[in-house]
Amino acid sequence: MARPRLGRAAVGLALLSTLVAACATGGSTSPAPAGASSATAATIPELKPDQKVSITFESYNLANTGTWKPVIEGLLADFAKEHPNITVKAQPPQSTTAGDFVGSIKTQALAGSPPDVAQITFNALDFAATALSAKPLDTLVGKDTVTANFAGTHPFAPAATTLGDLGGHTYTMPYVFSTPVLWINSTLFKAAGLDPANPPKTWEDVKTAALAIKQKAGKDGVYLDCTTKGSGDWCFQSLVRSNGGQVVSTDRRSLTFADGPAVGAVSMAADLYRSGASPNFSQAQAMDAFTKGNLGMMLETSALQGAFIAGAQSGGWELSAAAEPGFGARPAVPTNSGSGLSIFSNDPAKQRAGWELIKYLTSDHAYTEISSKIGYLPLRTSLVDDPAFLKPWADQHPLIKPNLDQLTRLQPWVSFPGNGYQQITDLMMSAAESAIYQGKDPATAMTDARKQATDLLPKT
Amino acid sequence: MFVELAVPATLAGEGRAAVQAARPALARRLLAATPPYLYLLPALACLVLWTYKPLVEAVQLSFYDWNLLPTSPMTYVGLDKYRQVFTQAGLRHAAVNTVIYIVCLLPFSVVLPTAVALVTRRLGGRSRDVYRALVFTPILVAPVAAAAVWRWLLDPTGLSNQALGWFGLAPHNWLREESTALPAILAITAWSMCGFAVLVVSAGLTGISADYGEAAAIDGATGWQILRWVTLPLLRSTLLFLVLMTVLLSGQWTFPLLDSLTQGGPAESSTNVYYLLWELGFRNFDSGLASAAGIVFFVVFGLIAAGLVALADRFSFHDN
Repeated sequence: MARPRLGRAAVGLALLSTLVAACATGGSTSPAPAGASSATAATIPELKPDQKVSITFESYNLANTGTWKPVIEGLLADFAKEHPNITVKAQPPQSTTAGDFVGSIKTQALAGSPPDVAQITFNALDFAATALSAKPLDTLVGKDTVTANFAGTHPFAPAATTLGDLGGHTYTMPYVFSTPVLWINSTLFKAAGLDPANPPKTWEDVKTAALAIKQKAGKDGVYLDCTTKGSGDWCFQSLVRSNGGQVVSTDRRSLTFADGPAVGAVSMAADLYRSGASPNFSQAQAMDAFTKGNLGMMLETSALQGAFIAGAQSGGWELSAAAEPGFGARPAVPTNSGSGLSIFSNDPAKQRAGWELIKYLTSDHAYTEISSKIGYLPLRTSLVDDPAFLKPWADQHPLIKPNLDQLTRLQPWVSFPGNGYQQITDLMMSAAESAIYQGKDPATAMTDARKQATDLLPKT
Repeated sequence: MFVELAVPATLAGEGRAAVQAARPALARRLLAATPPYLYLLPALACLVLWTYKPLVEAVQLSFYDWNLLPTSPMTYVGLDKYRQVFTQAGLRHAAVNTVIYIVCLLPFSVVLPTAVALVTRRLGGRSRDVYRALVFTPILVAPVAAAAVWRWLLDPTGLSNQALGWFGLAPHNWLREESTALPAILAITAWSMCGFAVLVVSAGLTGISADYGEAAAIDGATGWQILRWVTLPLLRSTLLFLVLMTVLLSGQWTFPLLDSLTQGGPAESSTNVYYLLWELGFRNFDSGLASAAGIVFFVVFGLIAAGLVALADRFSFHDN
């Protein structure tokens, strides 16, 4: 009696243990980090004339079917004509939530196959360089070649050239971005007895104008798309900098978003909401309201310029743009939004093909298309003075002026260090959001968030 | 020499004979015992692969700091991630919200469906079917599609606020106010789950023989008495099942709505542990913290489930 039972149990155990043994190990080996900086000294070879290469290109501009996607697809079609041997498989991110465009690249990297070339937002620069092992472009193609791409007939704006640098290497080629622009519904301005040609210069002026719009035009006054978790922190960083602060210390060791200037910026936004000058909107609601002509002013990226122009035309209102307002007499410190182009492939041929694509997407032709049809800054600024490129468009659309002016005073959108960069951003922005819209004390909320976020910094 | 050799030969022969007698028997016994396990193997393999392996790995991951990237090193941090679980305000807040979701969903997944099922039971055949179909429809709408519709309904310029306007009330931005984001998510979840629960209760009612009620009526019991002392006790296991479902699955029912409507906001006011776990693991790629929190919640929900199952065993009455 006991024996057969024992035998059965033995078989059962044996089967189970094989299953567990086969499965429980998993993929958790820990090889040393790829060490992007210790790459080979030699640059990657040029493609042979008959060499066919296929690369994948991930861009969040392809996720929006309205004004963004057709422009990028058009550029890729132009690229294909010029480089018939390079096939570019373009893809939007697999999923994006609350302003995180790099999560998709992370997901593909952990599956072992990141896109060959991808557009990474600058807040992920540190993470892309360290964890995702983006290839330093200067090591791949040589420092001179990278510098040469910044030059040309219409060179890059000096402030833009260093945005993709970290630790002496260029990990991403600055590509598309904006500075915070105060978009104005001139029609509402006039209805409220304000002069759109004389836009508010300080946040105090903004509040006064917004309340006038609210009272006299019966519409919402102003919305800052820098105040929620969903907005990301590029423009919030600009508010903090304009008030004389920073979100992370210069040595990147400690977080400073609970210091006086940051708390002051949050308090300013909270005051706009409490006074009724600003509505409690989500990013989507604010964009919708402004496009439909129901919002007087909006601090926002110029990437939405195309959508705003279309909204103004169909809604019968007039759009204008002004520079980012400052705190008191201090001029505003604009930061950049947006992204650069990075190479993740390990194959020299794909890396070279990727570099060709990057060169093309940052060319005079590409910026003419991107700036006129989407609204991002032409990083090759003198294009707006060249009749062959952007001059005809820029003459018709003075909207681009404040954005271009701010490019000369640009300070970079800094990335938080370590794996927890996104979580740190989320904590900071959630705290700001709760102080602005939920009436929490700004100093307490930001200090609590900093305490939690400090735990996420790399322990060195 | 030959003799000496012969002796071990016979001994070996005897030994072989003895082994031969035992060996086929053991092999045969093992062989005979194998088929049931072979039948079980596909199911067991799936269970191990999809449930136990991830569980074991989650325990393992919870002791490491790792961003899930194969090229990044795993750093052993001991119990540090568990310390974070118990000290981070965000996790505590999400746990409280989860309890609120569960407690507030119970009336809509247990009480209201029971009432609806009992009332519609009295209706005639076709009208009952139509009525139940109407109640059931919301769960057939994909959550993300439902969320898109509700987003418009709850918008400051949407139908809900126009309705408020008829009563002279100011529009309210339901999903952007801390006080109403969670109730809004709760209401949408209740709307979509109620029909499913009605169906479950109806099925439970169908399983109760009408004889009991008739017998009680003959004994002079009133309708209320029959309901209180006959029908509801017989329905107990169904209702406990619904309670168990609500406790264990409310987080998952609310997840798609949270993801598409509020992303846990504003300022984390509508988040719950499932959404937070997803954020930690797949937005922030903090596999250690996500696993540690997951293990803690696994233990807590496991205990609750065990308690409810024990209750169900104790109080259920099986009408054979």
